[in-house]
Amino acid sequence: MPYLTKKHLSRRTLLRGTGAALALPLLESMLPAAARRAWAAGEPPARVAFMYIPHGAVMDGWLPAGADGELALGPTMQSLTPWRGSLNVVSGLTLPAAYVGEATAGANHVRASRCWLTCAPLDTGASPTSADQVAAAHIGQETPLPSLELALESGESIAYRTPTTPLPMETNPRVVFERLFGDGSTPEERAARQRQFASLLDAVAGEVAPLQRSLPAADRARLDRYLTDIRELERRLALAADSTLADLDVPDKPNGAPPDFEEHAALMFDMLALAWQADLTRVATVLVARELSNRVYTRSGIAEGFHNCSHHSEVPANIERLARLNEYHTRTTIGSLLQKLGGTPDGEGTLLDHSLVVYGSGMSNANQHDHHPLPMLLAGGARGVQGGRHIRVAEDTPAANLLLGVLHKLDVPLESFADSTGVMEI
Amino acid sequence: MRRWPIALGFAFVALAAGVIASRGGGLPLRWLSGGAQSDVLDRYCVGCHNDPERAGGVSFESLDREELAGHADVWEAAVRKLRTGLMPPLGEPRPDRTVLDGFAASLEAGLDVAWARAPNPGTRPLARLTRTEYANAIRDLLAYDASAIASTLPPDATVGGFDNNAAALGVSPTLLEGYATAAMQIGRRAVGDRTMGHGETRYTALPGAAQRAPIEGLPLGTRGGLAVEHTFPLDAEYELVVSAAIPVGGWNNPTGALVYCDGPAVDVTFNGAPVAVENPRRIRLRVPAGPQRITVALVDERRCAGVNELYAGETGLGGAVQALTIIGPFDSTGAGDTPSRSEIFVCRPRSAAEAAPCAEQILSRLATRAYRRPVASAGREVAELMRFYAQGREEGGDFDAGIGYALSRLLVDPRFLYRFEREPDDVAVGAVYAIDDFELASRLSFFLWSSIPDDELLALAAEGRLGERAVLAAQVDRMLGDERSSALVENFASQWLMLRELDTVVPQDPDFDEDLRAAMRRETELLFTDLVREPRSVLTLLDADYTHLNERLAAHYGVDGVRGSHMRRVAWPEGGPRLGVLGHGSILTATSAPNRTSPVVRGQWLMQSLLGAKIPSPPPGAEADLSAEASESEGLVGDTVRARLELHRANPTCAGCHGIMDPLGLSLENFDLLGRWRDSEDGHPIDAAARMVDGTDLHGPQDLRAALLARSDVFVAAMTERLITYAMGRELESHDMPVVRGVVRSAGQEDYTLRALVQAIVASDTFRKRVKAGAAPAPN
Repeated sequence: MPYLTKKHLSRRTLLRGTGAALALPLLESMLPAAARRAWAAGEPPARVAFMYIPHGAVMDGWLPAGADGELALGPTMQSLTPWRGSLNVVSGLTLPAAYVGEATAGANHVRASRCWLTCAPLDTGASPTSADQVAAAHIGQETPLPSLELALESGESIAYRTPTTPLPMETNPRVVFERLFGDGSTPEERAARQRQFASLLDAVAGEVAPLQRSLPAADRARLDRYLTDIRELERRLALAADSTLADLDVPDKPNGAPPDFEEHAALMFDMLALAWQADLTRVATVLVARELSNRVYTRSGIAEGFHNCSHHSEVPANIERLARLNEYHTRTTIGSLLQKLGGTPDGEGTLLDHSLVVYGSGMSNANQHDHHPLPMLLAGGARGVQGGRHIRVAEDTPAANLLLGVLHKLDVPLESFADSTGVMEI
Repeated sequence: MRRWPIALGFAFVALAAGVIASRGGGLPLRWLSGGAQSDVLDRYCVGCHNDPERAGGVSFESLDREELAGHADVWEAAVRKLRTGLMPPLGEPRPDRTVLDGFAASLEAGLDVAWARAPNPGTRPLARLTRTEYANAIRDLLAYDASAIASTLPPDATVGGFDNNAAALGVSPTLLEGYATAAMQIGRRAVGDRTMGHGETRYTALPGAAQRAPIEGLPLGTRGGLAVEHTFPLDAEYELVVSAAIPVGGWNNPTGALVYCDGPAVDVTFNGAPVAVENPRRIRLRVPAGPQRITVALVDERRCAGVNELYAGETGLGGAVQALTIIGPFDSTGAGDTPSRSEIFVCRPRSAAEAAPCAEQILSRLATRAYRRPVASAGREVAELMRFYAQGREEGGDFDAGIGYALSRLLVDPRFLYRFEREPDDVAVGAVYAIDDFELASRLSFFLWSSIPDDELLALAAEGRLGERAVLAAQVDRMLGDERSSALVENFASQWLMLRELDTVVPQDPDFDEDLRAAMRRETELLFTDLVREPRSVLTLLDADYTHLNERLAAHYGVDGVRGSHMRRVAWPEGGPRLGVLGHGSILTATSAPNRTSPVVRGQWLMQSLLGAKIPSPPPGAEADLSAEASESEGLVGDTVRARLELHRANPTCAGCHGIMDPLGLSLENFDLLGRWRDSEDGHPIDAAARMVDGTDLHGPQDLRAALLARSDVFVAAMTERLITYAMGRELESHDMPVVRGVVRSAGQEDYTLRALVQAIVASDTFRKRVKAGAAPAPN
């Protein structure tokens, strides 16, 4: 573990260990006072994450054996067996928006990830906000960060506030750390820097209006965005002050993104779990890899680039190879996250009991660039969601129905979302 | 004078345009109507591009053939298709190339004349500084290396081939938060932050074969290792931790420590002087603030013989220095004397009364540079910075900390973070006006240096002289000669010539490692650097009769007699296969699939990046897997990539584009996926024969090079387009194309040197003016 100092290493081992008794005192001390107060009254808040995997999946390996109801995990998901009771495989969904537009291979890839959470065709005004940001607008306003965008490879964002404002996805664990815990080595230093930060924002906000007067109209609009963003940061700052972040006993800073994929993923999931646990945010998106990524996952034992591998040309040996890569990703990403969440105490249970995690892709058979039937998995038990089911939907059910179902569980009072045709009861 | 015929062609067009333009704007221009060119249009184009059929959404039938300006976008698209050979389509009647060239030239002349009557320079949209520009600006403003801090900012998206495209340089709360956090860190560090906690910086050695041989610049008698220039923030103690290879037993094997033989196995030097180390893994030193050079390497003693062999093949694990981690500061004794402190503290208050005037002096000087406009020491801007200076002192800080606070304010100011161009009120919408000299200074410095203007540029702007033709030209020459112009290599060339793609490819070939990747990248960078530094034609990129090699790359290319890691100039034999970038491992590797060559990607890259063609994406489901295992199911049974590709091209849907781009890629088939020369693939001889769409036969890279040189006008125009796109931070539109042609014509008089291209771009209306945007679209 060369990316963490020794001091952190031991703490991280604690965090990761299953010895909850040992870990508990430390974890409690990490909770901001405000969060502790709120949760003392009742159940911890629901958290939600959306994790994207490009290039679809080999559906034969992904899908459970058997029909509806009882979940018999398929070969791709064998490693998730310990959490079977918290899993629902949702099969048969489609992503209509991803079919709209130029019918080229490259464009199909781009749309698969860009439409996954927006469920809206590109370049139209219809419901441009992605589901995670809809959630953030409702349940993210009480936390210092409305949402957290993480990536294990840099690429186009899957989180959109509006069609033209993708939220950058961060690959560097160190930067994530500083966003969560601030920059400074003592509580006094952190507090002083927070004051400096606040006065910087305040000063800059006052600078924009006089500058705008001399600018062309289009540029003026761009600068308006800058002003809006300053306001948003000021709001977050106020929340951070409320949540007495200064009391937080934070672990040591990680140094950067480890080159090893599995280490990188585990480190990012540690941060995500910590952010949820400390109620710094309740919403997250994770990009496992970007569409068209040709990364080679050396530890998967497959020497082929990911995108190349996904063009299996329907040759059985190639399909088998892609299925193995799907299995690898499942084990090292959603599997690793479930292990983390399932092992982290939260209220009366674990973080997994109080979260909903949607894992899947905007593509199905990547060889055909098809957006139906999508590989989708729903994990977690927030708001009484039951696991252990294979939910097979009717033909032509849009993915937006599932997303709307998730949003309803988070008390988002929407009647419809993007191209939804109904609410999936989850 | 092989370039003579092309220059002649341009002279003709220029002359024709000039004659017509001199007649004034009132006369009808009959470029196409009724003449021979109109016949070409009717005969070869209108058969498909007519009103009922509208092939590709285009009809020429009812377009005005006299006044091209009304549909300049359609005609410009036609010119591009003609110049890059994409039209008329394969299988349709196609006249001799001279006829098509004449037709294209006549369209261009018509478009150029129309443009000259109502020049439209377009605009330069408001843009945030890119991460790279930000780090460079901090370097030039404060003499502080902020690259590590800047690398934690969210990466900039690439649009239209470059990451400095204004359309993608927006903000988000996360980004703004990142810039504010960076500004606070830089403000503290640049003045010397006594309160900073200790942190870690990790430098990784190139893994792989590099670790088995001595490295240039490292002490004699060592092998592998790394050299770093580290800026120590304070006078303090620091811990240097050397990570060397882990033996097979792993970390927990107590006997498997890092010493492979008796004696000190690790050689550490500090500014050239050896450092005595008892335990080679961890050294604690007192270090003065400022940049220092540290080297770490394994001692290559005879007694170590056998180690290399023992761990051969375990390049990641065996016998190698992997990284140097610098931890600190501890027990700081002071801020010391760093370059950034010398740059910032141009005065020192000797009494409390002197503090405020000194702070004003420091801050007005830095604000002028940061905002790229004069800032008076009594002005509002400085008053605002002084407010922060006071706040910093209130937070319990000394004079330095106050300045640090003010710097953080300076660095989040929109006037620093954004590139503004003001719009005068007294100019009508649609009117063209010259940008002011300060804006011109910024356009220049961000184009050539990816950074802020220096004091000389700002002084000339203040005198109102920067816009003078001779002054401007002299400044361009000065800037190209300055070492900051390496930004053109690092930002322009690296994005245009696939070097950023090279950084991320993972070829599945045992010969590929980081050492080779670095050498490949360097080879291409050095060739482009020669264009910046020497009066060389940009056509050198296609036909350079030399390159830069080190031992690793030379061995890769099969060149003998090059020893060591230093890259040096090596001449190619006349008529050899590797002349120019088409023989560079960088581009050949970046345009390959991980496990095979990709003639399609190579051809597509050549067509798009070097010739400026716009190639549509394939229709859905039309993708084919050309790897040997995969192709059987598609009936693409063949022994080589080429054979499978040709079967696939027999499909008429594919042939339209692939028939044009694949031949270019196929002619490079002798270069394998890492750019090594090969005569056979899986035991089958390589066939690099191909026929270009205009009938030119190619038999390998030499012929491809000759064919590209024969179309060097198209290549220079494509490169000019990329340069202007980069300079303006926006994608080009049809109204920019006459400017592109003007630049090419002008540079043609100086053998197409990069300097001439840059000079012509800087002198152009597009670079020096803008059109006032408003409700009504600008003419043309």
